[in-house]
Amino acid sequence: MPPPSPPPSGSAARPYLRRQRYLLGRLLRLTSRYGWRCLGLVLLNLSLLALGLAGIGGVGIAIDFLREQVQSGSPPAKFPFGWYPPADWSPRFVLLSLGLWIFAAAAIRAWLAFLTAVSTNRLGQGRIVVELRASIYAKMQRMSFRFFDANATGSLINRVTGDTQSVRLFIDGVVVQALNIILATLFYLFCLVQIHAGLALACFAFLPLLGLVVIIFSRWLRPDYEEGRKRVDRLVLVFEELARGMGVVKSFGLQSWAEGRFVEANGAVRDQKNNVFRKLTILFPLVSLLNQLSLAVLLGYGGWLAIRGEIPIGTGLILFAGILQQLNAQANAIGTVADSLQQTLTGADRVYEILDAEPGILDREDAVPLERARGEVIFDHVAFRFKPESTVLHDLSLTVRAGEKIAIVGPTGSGKTALIQLIPRFYDPDEGRLLLDGRDLRDWQLDDVRRQVGLVFQESFLFSAPVSANIAFGCPGATPEAIERAARLAAAHEFIEKLPLGYDTLLHENGANLSGGQRQRLALARAILLDPAILILDDPTAAVDAGTEQEILTAMDRVMAGRTTFIVAHRFTTVRRADRIIVLDRGHIAAVGTHEQLSKQPGYYRDAILAESGEDKGEAA
Amino acid sequence: MKERDSTKWGRPDPTAKPVVAGIVDGQTLSKVRAARGDEDESAQVPLSFRLIRRLLGFTGVYRRKMIGLFISVGARAIQLPVLAWAIGAIINGPIARGDLGQLAWSVGAFTAFAFFTELTFRYRIKWALEIGEAVIHDLRSAMFRHWLGLTMGYFNRQPVGRLISRLTGDAENVRVGVQNVLFVSLVSAGQMIGCAVLMVIEDWRLFLLVLGIAPVIWGLNLYFRKRLSEAYRCQSDSFSRITATMAESVSGIRVTQSFSRERVNADHFRALVEDHARYNLVAARATGTFLPLLELNGQLFMALLVVIGGGHVLDPAHSMDLGSMVQFFFLAGLFFSPITILGNMFNEALTAMAGAERVFAILDTQPDWQDKPDPVTPATLAGRVELRDVTFSYQADRPVLRGVSLTAEAGQCVAIVGATGSGKSTVAGLIAKFYLPESGAVLIDGIDTRDISSPWLHAHLGIVPQQNHLFAGTILENIRVVKPGATRDEVRAALAKLDCLETIESIAGGLDAEVGERGSGLSLGQRQLICFARALIADPRILILDEATSAIDPLTEARTQKAMRLLMAGRTSFVLAHRLSTLRHADQVVVMGDGMVLEQGEPGELLESGGAFAELWGRAGG
Repeated sequence: MPPPSPPPSGSAARPYLRRQRYLLGRLLRLTSRYGWRCLGLVLLNLSLLALGLAGIGGVGIAIDFLREQVQSGSPPAKFPFGWYPPADWSPRFVLLSLGLWIFAAAAIRAWLAFLTAVSTNRLGQGRIVVELRASIYAKMQRMSFRFFDANATGSLINRVTGDTQSVRLFIDGVVVQALNIILATLFYLFCLVQIHAGLALACFAFLPLLGLVVIIFSRWLRPDYEEGRKRVDRLVLVFEELARGMGVVKSFGLQSWAEGRFVEANGAVRDQKNNVFRKLTILFPLVSLLNQLSLAVLLGYGGWLAIRGEIPIGTGLILFAGILQQLNAQANAIGTVADSLQQTLTGADRVYEILDAEPGILDREDAVPLERARGEVIFDHVAFRFKPESTVLHDLSLTVRAGEKIAIVGPTGSGKTALIQLIPRFYDPDEGRLLLDGRDLRDWQLDDVRRQVGLVFQESFLFSAPVSANIAFGCPGATPEAIERAARLAAAHEFIEKLPLGYDTLLHENGANLSGGQRQRLALARAILLDPAILILDDPTAAVDAGTEQEILTAMDRVMAGRTTFIVAHRFTTVRRADRIIVLDRGHIAAVGTHEQLSKQPGYYRDAILAESGEDKGEAA
Repeated sequence: MKERDSTKWGRPDPTAKPVVAGIVDGQTLSKVRAARGDEDESAQVPLSFRLIRRLLGFTGVYRRKMIGLFISVGARAIQLPVLAWAIGAIINGPIARGDLGQLAWSVGAFTAFAFFTELTFRYRIKWALEIGEAVIHDLRSAMFRHWLGLTMGYFNRQPVGRLISRLTGDAENVRVGVQNVLFVSLVSAGQMIGCAVLMVIEDWRLFLLVLGIAPVIWGLNLYFRKRLSEAYRCQSDSFSRITATMAESVSGIRVTQSFSRERVNADHFRALVEDHARYNLVAARATGTFLPLLELNGQLFMALLVVIGGGHVLDPAHSMDLGSMVQFFFLAGLFFSPITILGNMFNEALTAMAGAERVFAILDTQPDWQDKPDPVTPATLAGRVELRDVTFSYQADRPVLRGVSLTAEAGQCVAIVGATGSGKSTVAGLIAKFYLPESGAVLIDGIDTRDISSPWLHAHLGIVPQQNHLFAGTILENIRVVKPGATRDEVRAALAKLDCLETIESIAGGLDAEVGERGSGLSLGQRQLICFARALIADPRILILDEATSAIDPLTEARTQKAMRLLMAGRTSFVLAHRLSTLRHADQVVVMGDGMVLEQGEPGELLESGGAFAELWGRAGG
């Protein structure tokens, strides 16, 4: 991937146009990389046109030739390139040659059409799309979490699937197609002028009109199409919401309300479609009518010319009619190209947004490798914000000794998750720095830093793969013995053995065939297989019931031994195990101490303990 | 994980096994899908007159438009060949004879006829498009109404994504079927027949030539359709591997990055994309052979026309007119051009059939059970609930409840605890009459739920689900949806009663704050409070509350606990409990395990008896 040039800043008066121009430039540069192939495609397309014309021309000549034979006084047939059949050829033989000529032209044309289809596919689907999809995916894999916070999964999938196709369309649907149209129009015009310049001009008058109508309509219709898409999206949203809330709908007897909501959204879709139809049903007949009118002109004016003997019937009138139809088809194609261009720009915007984006987290040029960390972590006046306007962590300083166990507590939104996500460099701090083993985190190589950190999330994501592959996710080469050892340490071995295929059991997407506790223990095994120096547990027992929590805690005790551990938790059964407890409040450290110390001080910690265990003791059964 | 060699592909072979997908190979992925019970949905289904007739039944409402449409379709099928014939006739007649006056007259007539044709065209497409859209609109509404009448068991079995694809993808395919396939093919077929008739009138011997080519086209069609549908299937399979991998990669990005797997994943993905491109090429080769060969037939006819037709013209014995050849030139063009269109239409028709079949399958789904014809609707409901030796299973051989009995007196609070899969939610569903027990009985005020009217029961029942479902709209709308006449003050009073009016009004926008599809912008605690208020406004006699498992910070927790107790006061309440404080305040605790009631009683008693509950309490309480 070439180093991405930064997108232009939107300081100009019309940033939209600037962006469009920038995208067009990007797309043209992409096209130029495949320049020769595109040219090849254009040549192929032109050969197709020429051969098509040769076929029609053959029929025209045959008709003129027959007239010459049957009707005395008819002008002689004009053969191409000044050639004339030798005198000793019988008329039947001439016809046979013409038939062969027509069929040969058609056969070659068919073969070229096949070549065109295949090479268009090879270039578009086989190269451009593959290249774009693979680059976007690779880029996405490296994007910082900020990026994923800001983009919905559906939109990211669309970029890889639909939007890459839109970019491809620029090459085979816009550039190649536009060249085809221009060259074909010139080619046909040339042929028509050869037959009769005045007639060509008269019939050609309709062509710009046709192109104009098509373009005007495609502009006129675009907002309607967009509105239509929006309404369909809304219908799906309304439905999804009602379907997911079916329990609520049924239990409160809201059926007629739900029906009203759906019917309204459904009707809105139909109404918008009908708006589109109203316009379409003017456009289509109009285009068709313009085609017919140009034929009428041909018949009238051309007929008059033919009667005056200025043009022949076969190679004149009939050939003309054939070419005219092809020409009108080109005019219709202008609308398609205009639409494609719009679609292409929208898609390219979304594709290049990713390809141009800064990954956020990068290795420094002079980053140092890190074999095995001791595990000392220092927060040095760290400030951090997810969005520019709202600071999550303020000037936070904290020193954690190697092997120490730190618990982090605090109300929702106090910055607990942000704090621990800085350690494996999922984000870089906006001010201040983090030190690992005495050196700025950003001085170490990123992959090495992450290898030092084992992570278990609130709800750990598991992949649809065998259990063993999931445990060995960070270390695909791990031996079965190592995997089992990690599983035993995480108290996962017993339940894995009981699964239908043991370690080979396939997990469903996101481990849906396991219980919450089982998923968390697998995540724990996955985290410790790498024997990390630092362990981060982000509220690992949040989503499990009390009994399961106990199992996980026991496993955790074993795993934490000898590792620097950061644990975020709400339940005090978990928090009490830490050497030190950090109380966070709106991005500041409000208090630090052991469970005993903090439970004696007034403040959040003591309030929370009271709320959880001691609340209204008097009423207790 | 086995990786297949993906580098040595000479000619792509559509039957070859797919290469790696994401972190799993494709074969494994399909096994996973099979394990999840995803049906293989066929993209195409053979034409069926039963389906077509049923689909046409939906156009009954629009009979007048339909009649107009059929007339315009018929008219158009005649007009197009006539236009083509007219061109030939003008060339053969006035132009060949050199009659200027007649030329002017006939060109004028041609133009007028062209106007008339396009006017017909306008109404032809207008009516076809409108009817197609109207039919789909009606089908969607019918599906939704039908869904509303199905039992909860259906929604548990069907993923929402699948229902959505019925509503969008399948309905869309049916729409294309009605709008395009039906009428475009009728016009195309009519056009071919019209041309054929004109050609026979012009010269029936030359028309035999056209007929001679027909079997070739038919054979080509048969051969390529088969190859193409196979190629398309492989193509869509490999594509769904791409989207599935993408979705999983995005969801698992945190894990991927924390384990530095970015490069490995990117390589896997590239192999997957290349794999898809190969199948794509296979399909392109097939269409790239098929379409040109179809067109070649038209050209073949032209060649034969020149050789044989020309021969006839030259042969005095045949008395064939040169004008006929000109006519055939134009008519044959019009005769052959719909063939490609018809081929595409046939393909779309098969897709539409598959869509129609699935849509109708939904309309034909019978509810698992229905209310009795004369259900009981008592005047009042006190709220005594009893489960008597209830057994229940979602799947025939896997019982979820095995002889569960429990009683809640009117106004009592019953806490149900137990591990995931112990049957708690099923008990709640049975009380709400979402399901009916297989054996045993659920009694409300002593009446079997099988005999009670569902609407009546639901009018007295409220549920607060675990995921705190909110609908798009304002907070106010979300609360009063259960009682449309409720005023703003009533809603405020309800919130005040739950002691959370301030909390909700402190949200930016207050009661009028828009909550997104998934209640975005609200915290878990706030969403819970809104759902509580909704239940309070409904003022049910029986309340079922599924506590959220996710931990929230202890101070918020205390507030929701308090609101919950205020909500439950004076109602028979069932709480699927995860919180110790909930258990402590319950009148009765039911401990479930493996589909059975393990223990049942007052929390204090159970604690003393030292059984399962005491153990749970001890562990969680530390």
